[in-house]
Amino acid sequence: MAETVNDYLLRAGRLPDGGLRFIDRAETATWVGWAEVRERALAAAGGLLALGVGRGDHVALVFPTGCEFFAAFFGALLAGAVPVPLYPPVRLGRLREYVARTARMLAACDARVVLADARVKRFLGEAVAAARPRLGCKTLADLPPAAAAAGSAGWGPAAPRPDELALIQFSSGTTVAPKAVALSHRAVVAQTEILSSCWSDRDGLRHSCASWLPLYHDMGLLGCVFPALARDATLTLLAPELFVARPALWLRAIGRYGATISPAPNFGYSLCLTRVADADMEGVDLSCWRAALNGAEPVAPSVLRAFAARFARWGLSPAALTPVYGLSEAALAVTFSALDQPCRSRWYDREALADERVARRLAPGAAGVAGAGRDARDAGDEGAAGATGPEGGREIASVGRPLPGFRLSVRDALGRELPPGRVGRLWVNGPSLMQGYLGDPEGTARAVRDGWLDTGDLGFIDDGELYLTGRAKDLIILRGRNHSPAEIEQAVDAVAGVRTGCAVAVSWLPDGAPGEMLGLFVERSRRAAAAELAALPDACREAVLAATGLAIDRLEVLPPGTLPRTSSGKLRRSEALRLYLEGGLTPPAPVTPLRLARAVARSGLGYARWRLARRREGIP
Amino acid sequence: MGTDILTGIAEVAREHLGWEGPLTGDMRLVEDLRLDSVRLLTLAAEVENRFHVVLSEGDEAAIVTVGDLVETVRRKLG
Repeated sequence: MAETVNDYLLRAGRLPDGGLRFIDRAETATWVGWAEVRERALAAAGGLLALGVGRGDHVALVFPTGCEFFAAFFGALLAGAVPVPLYPPVRLGRLREYVARTARMLAACDARVVLADARVKRFLGEAVAAARPRLGCKTLADLPPAAAAAGSAGWGPAAPRPDELALIQFSSGTTVAPKAVALSHRAVVAQTEILSSCWSDRDGLRHSCASWLPLYHDMGLLGCVFPALARDATLTLLAPELFVARPALWLRAIGRYGATISPAPNFGYSLCLTRVADADMEGVDLSCWRAALNGAEPVAPSVLRAFAARFARWGLSPAALTPVYGLSEAALAVTFSALDQPCRSRWYDREALADERVARRLAPGAAGVAGAGRDARDAGDEGAAGATGPEGGREIASVGRPLPGFRLSVRDALGRELPPGRVGRLWVNGPSLMQGYLGDPEGTARAVRDGWLDTGDLGFIDDGELYLTGRAKDLIILRGRNHSPAEIEQAVDAVAGVRTGCAVAVSWLPDGAPGEMLGLFVERSRRAAAAELAALPDACREAVLAATGLAIDRLEVLPPGTLPRTSSGKLRRSEALRLYLEGGLTPPAPVTPLRLARAVARSGLGYARWRLARRREGIP
Repeated sequence: MGTDILTGIAEVAREHLGWEGPLTGDMRLVEDLRLDSVRLLTLAAEVENRFHVVLSEGDEAAIVTVGDLVETVRRKLG
């Protein structure tokens, strides 16, 4: 029984089909068996030790998808260090912002050394200079020869304890409020065993996975790499930038290499609908695909239905689509919907969900007038009504039941457990929870209490299955990636005419939409000139794009004082979103002494204070 | 040749990015064309496909405007 990720690597490579297959832009495959991955990792580990990397040191990794990433990642582990995967630059992206972000992450993860791809390294100079990791920035080729490690006595691969860290992953927040999730070997192994048990080989079926997900992303690394390694099986990999440019390559790789498992966030499925042409699919057979896992961002039922309908022609089974739920803080997966059945979505009374926080099922309306309506019956369950559904209804996809070892608890704001059918905050308990947020004991204490993780997600249980309705936490999820709202809000601080510090960024999944929308609500400054106000919306969009690479879907410029705040003056993001969706994000009424008196009189204490203040100022 | 390249890039922008307006060399990819990170990737890949060139990170670092992209492709086609 493996106890650490190192154990997995040291045991792998016995089966002939165990290894990594890299697909390039010409769809040429390069095969690297797990034994070779191990050899390369051992060489990297020796080099890291010779360089002076010590046990428990953090090693930041900046590599595109490719064999070098694995040599560096497992090399760090075999050296007894802790790998911290960071993301490489985006194509045509704004390099200055990328460098600033990377510098911030390097500092936040307390990296002792940065390992990078030779091409990426050239861009990292400034980031490294700013963060000053003790041992600098190296490519694998820059590392001293492994023979120099531990002198002439040679060295052996590290044997970490299960409670030592296996991995640090940034879950959200890069420039502002970085959240680096620290996972122990015990947590990673527990998660890996759970996932592996979901696809045990039997009846002559040997499962294999294909993925385009970034290797610095939990679903890519924890969801695909470790289970493949633990099962000594094949993992077919495409670079994420290749998928985004040519999504058909993903589907073609699944068909060509007979992948049975392939996960993606909702965004990936949605992109295939808009960017894959029928001609791209010629000769592709998707009947091998058993588990098209859909997680990392809210699942849009309309996308599930449309994807099932569109790709059925190429053999896609409606049972393949599998909405799941997880988060970095739980080392990934928490719930799975049934692997061998069509996914389920149901209609609920929208107002009851929002106002009473009760999940009241509605009977599905007349069957599909929407384009995918008929096929929806294959993909859906009670949700077969197509995209229109009953009036006042909101369609939500089930993300299934807890995985073995996990428990769910839906709680109210005071932490009291709610019965099934009531909407509340989702808490989870299980064997793969994080050790904590690196360098943030307060954040950790807020998130994990008595072995339970407060996910910050909102949802309810119906028939034993989990349905998610939104988020109580301040987090933006777009295309499967988490962003801190503060990053987006700070981007507009310097825009002329914006009231500094008075912007709120939110994202949500509108009914029937293919994915989450990004909204930005900004208050204008009292002193803003007319010309500034006219240019304000465009200037805000540009500033956010330049700083974060994200496009704003909904922008509202509001009079000063419109955004809801806490008593201490902090902006309330989820409340702002709630008001916006209800059409209630309106400017405060002009303050008159009478109105003020009425408002404060509602609270005795407030009234007393108000009287006191007036007396101090000499007002009767 | 620069005009042909600009025309080709304009076609890529129309076909793959849904850009309906005119495209000129001084337009900035992020601020003026409003390309987010996914659309920047799409543009890079489709320009490579159309002109049969490969852009490297070194080339891309300097690309801010449509004109920069035209110039880079022109150099590659050399």
